[in-house]
Amino acid sequence: MKFEYVIKDSLGIHARPAGLLVAEAKKYKSAVTIEAKGKKADAKRIFAVMSLGVKCGDTICVVCEGEDAEAASAAMKAVVEANL
Amino acid sequence: MDYKATAQGVLDAIGGKENIVSAAHCATRLRLVIADNAKVNKEQLENVDGAKGVFEASGQLQIIFGTGTVNKVFDEFIALAGIEAGTKEDVKKAAASKQNIFLRLIKTLGDVFVPILPAIVASGLLMGLLEGLTKVIPGMAESNWYTFFHLMSSAALTFLPILIAVSTARVFGGNMFLAAVVGMIMIHPDLANAWDVGAVESAPILFSIGGYSIKLVGYQGHVIPVIISVWVMCFVEKKLHKVVPEILDLFVVPLASVLASGIVALLIVGPIFGQLETWVLQGASWLISVPFGIGGFFVGAVYAPTVVAGVHHMYNIIEQGFLSNGGANIWMPIATAVNVGQGAAALAVALKTRNKKLKSMAVPAAISAYMGITEPAIFGVNIRYKKPFIAGMVGGAVGGMFAALTHVGASAYGVTGIFGILITLPNSELGLGAWNIVNYIFTMLIATAAAFIVSFIWYKDEAPCEKDKVYSPLKGKAIALSQVKDETFAAGVLGQGFAVVPEAGKVVAPFNGKVTTLFETKHAIGVTSDDGIEVLIHVGLNTVALEGKYFTALVKEGDAVRKGQTLLTFDQKAIAAAGYDTTTPVIVTNADDYAAVEVLRKEGKVHFGEEVLRAEAKEAAPAEAPSESVQA
Repeated sequence: MKFEYVIKDSLGIHARPAGLLVAEAKKYKSAVTIEAKGKKADAKRIFAVMSLGVKCGDTICVVCEGEDAEAASAAMKAVVEANL
Repeated sequence: MDYKATAQGVLDAIGGKENIVSAAHCATRLRLVIADNAKVNKEQLENVDGAKGVFEASGQLQIIFGTGTVNKVFDEFIALAGIEAGTKEDVKKAAASKQNIFLRLIKTLGDVFVPILPAIVASGLLMGLLEGLTKVIPGMAESNWYTFFHLMSSAALTFLPILIAVSTARVFGGNMFLAAVVGMIMIHPDLANAWDVGAVESAPILFSIGGYSIKLVGYQGHVIPVIISVWVMCFVEKKLHKVVPEILDLFVVPLASVLASGIVALLIVGPIFGQLETWVLQGASWLISVPFGIGGFFVGAVYAPTVVAGVHHMYNIIEQGFLSNGGANIWMPIATAVNVGQGAAALAVALKTRNKKLKSMAVPAAISAYMGITEPAIFGVNIRYKKPFIAGMVGGAVGGMFAALTHVGASAYGVTGIFGILITLPNSELGLGAWNIVNYIFTMLIATAAAFIVSFIWYKDEAPCEKDKVYSPLKGKAIALSQVKDETFAAGVLGQGFAVVPEAGKVVAPFNGKVTTLFETKHAIGVTSDDGIEVLIHVGLNTVALEGKYFTALVKEGDAVRKGQTLLTFDQKAIAAAGYDTTTPVIVTNADDYAAVEVLRKEGKVHFGEEVLRAEAKEAAPAEAPSESVQA
């Protein structure tokens, strides 16, 4: 399961939204990764997500793999849309 | 063959890095100690590219790769498997490479010297006692018992270069046996003995360039030339291991590395140090003749550094010179001031430190210095912590000045310190009166007092950096995370920790580690400790909107940092004036990896470097396997 999203928040993924994304991703068993600008990050690790340096206008691709991938993907999508 | 793929293959077949207790290799085999043998797939292991056989013996899983291959596979294997230990090492190395070259050299000297200290201390104490006894017991020096005890006391110092060479190879990761050979080359009996002035002067000449000739002189008692030569050997050895085809490895690499370092030792390092010794000798002879105690002061000050540089061997010539001109040896009392000064400085460290290991090393080192053998005090203690060394120099200078002013003289040479009293006894031929011995004792007391006081006041134990602790990166008022006026932080979404309302616009490293993330806007920085604690320091709330204004970063992503090193500076007044809350959450973001994150500093004033958080490890800490790896 994966989806793409173009960041609309003018500040990009900084600490707070990164924290929210990670908190959500951790709720699921699936492996969740965020890809952006050719880099990949484990969405369950704050430092990894922040290191992507995602800014406004960048496209991210959220990939969920595992038994609850569908639910994880939907939940991640909701968090992303609400905060970014 | 692809060593990395092979190493990965091995790793997969043995059940991953979690299943390794330790790894090492010998000439042909990769030797692993495995946690759970059930997880090892032997068949898969045998089919790994390059593996010539697999079997279990003496509790080890051994995989045969062959000479020249096994070390390369091992290197890759360690890199792959030792993610924790490996990165720890990298961080340490990177941290070391950030220090200036002088500090690195001192650190290297210490690393080389500390493991061999027991040998030198034993030698030094025995030698001091023996020299003392020979002055007290008539005929002792000519007896066979003297020879008997002298063998034991002098062996370590006579063959010091071999000990240094082996230890150096351990520090630089070369083959210790080859290094021992390099050390033996440097004190080979066919070379003139460096302690023997006459032999050095008449040493055979290898060849001459113009008026300058290269003599075959040994390195008895030398330190730095040996370290340089073995460093060259390790460098050549490691380079060659990479480029020489494995089938030729055993023929080419040891031969080439020993030859290269032997040539460097005898043709380059030797002449340079020989020339330095000559200059030091000329300088010292001139310096000691400066009147009003000034000469004694400066000789006393710079003597110890010349011991470190290993260019002090010719001082006996000066002493001999005084005596053969019919006068007293006025060099020896100054040398005594220097030696007891270093001893007193080490003694102060021994009394002040809370580090048991250092204490147990500093006491015998100090005693040995009072008997005239200063290497343990200088290399084992003082120079490693720099300040005691300088304190020792102060003692040497003050004591040296007193000795020069009061014209203390000795009737022989070769002994310093407490047993030196025996050669400062009244001697009418040399014009040494009863006061001579009193002044000699005063020289020791003055040097001791000066060095001890300076060292005792100046030396401080380095603040410990415990691996489960986070030390405050800020100065200000500590508050609970729940009081932070930002829901995300307050609710602990980003992790556990505390917050500081800063009083100074500076963020320092909370432990030894690595900068993992640094925002372009520089308002937040993520640091990972050597032991894996991830800490996010987020300066101010919503300060991302400042887009870097008022923030200055002093480090960049990937930098290794030491506890207390400044990471960021910020203009807190300007940030507050711009309407932002400067409250700075300090958060362990991988709190889930720990059983608990304990907040040690809940509220009130907090200073830089104070213990603030403790990450309690979950049970069954991962085996620190690869750090125990040894080369065979």
